Amino acid sequence: MQNNIMMTMAALGDPTRFAIVERLLKEGEVSAGDLADPFSMSKPAISRHLKVLENAELIERRTKAQFRVFRARPDTLKKMDSWLGKYRKFWEASFDRLEEVLNDMPDTAILEKKSAGDGEV
Amino acid sequence: MNVDAKTNEDTTLVIERKFQTSPERLYEAWTNPEILQKWWGPEGVTIPTLDLDVREGGDWITTFHSDQMGERVVSGKYVTLDPPNRLVFTWGWIDNGTRGHETMVEIVLLQVGDSTIMTLTQKAFAEMEHRDNHRFGWDSSFNKLGLILK
Repeated sequence: MQNNIMMTMAALGDPTRFAIVERLLKEGEVSAGDLADPFSMSKPAISRHLKVLENAELIERRTKAQFRVFRARPDTLKKMDSWLGKYRKFWEASFDRLEEVLNDMPDTAILEKKSAGDGEV
Repeated sequence: MNVDAKTNEDTTLVIERKFQTSPERLYEAWTNPEILQKWWGPEGVTIPTLDLDVREGGDWITTFHSDQMGERVVSGKYVTLDPPNRLVFTWGWIDNGTRGHETMVEIVLLQVGDSTIMTLTQKAFAEMEHRDNHRFGWDSSFNKLGLILK
């Protein structure tokens, strides 16, 4: 689960992709062509962005008449609603490990660094 | 379900944890790459590469790896380094060479007796120059999302 969250965040991290998801949230279904319109970007570049969003399960596509249309995926977005909560899990899981690492961490790691920095004889 | 990003609680994460150690050791755990590598990320996530230029204005970059997600690169800049009590750095994912939305992480280390209280604060918005558009983006999206999820 943690990894999916990281994937989702990474996917949303890009401004173009963020704008796409935001637009789909506002407008519901939008065709691939219309989605590309606001961006001065090649069609293949937009397609790549859409692919990333699809892989992250943030959007999905279907064919309507002969057009490809996209829409946001509420299920994934629902998971994102407490995205800071996901970071919380990330950090807390990290801190559990930190606790163990501190136990095994030799004092010398700090002392050596300090004396090296002091430059005293 | 609260997704109103306008409130501080929803854009700022605060985690407090007490460690049976000194601020110096904790500071070291954050800034010594060999030690950071051992604990950063949840169980199952490893760090194949990391590069920390630990000085104010210095860049850091880390690759997280797990079997499910493959490799994910995160990077940022050290904003404040005040050993052994405080460090502040930015945090942003890199995807296909593009660095995206940036958050700000602050670590405060406060000695209490023979323990240290570590407080992590992560702000959803780094509040750096020209980040305002992102802020509006997140805000409006979360507001929208709030409506959808109602």
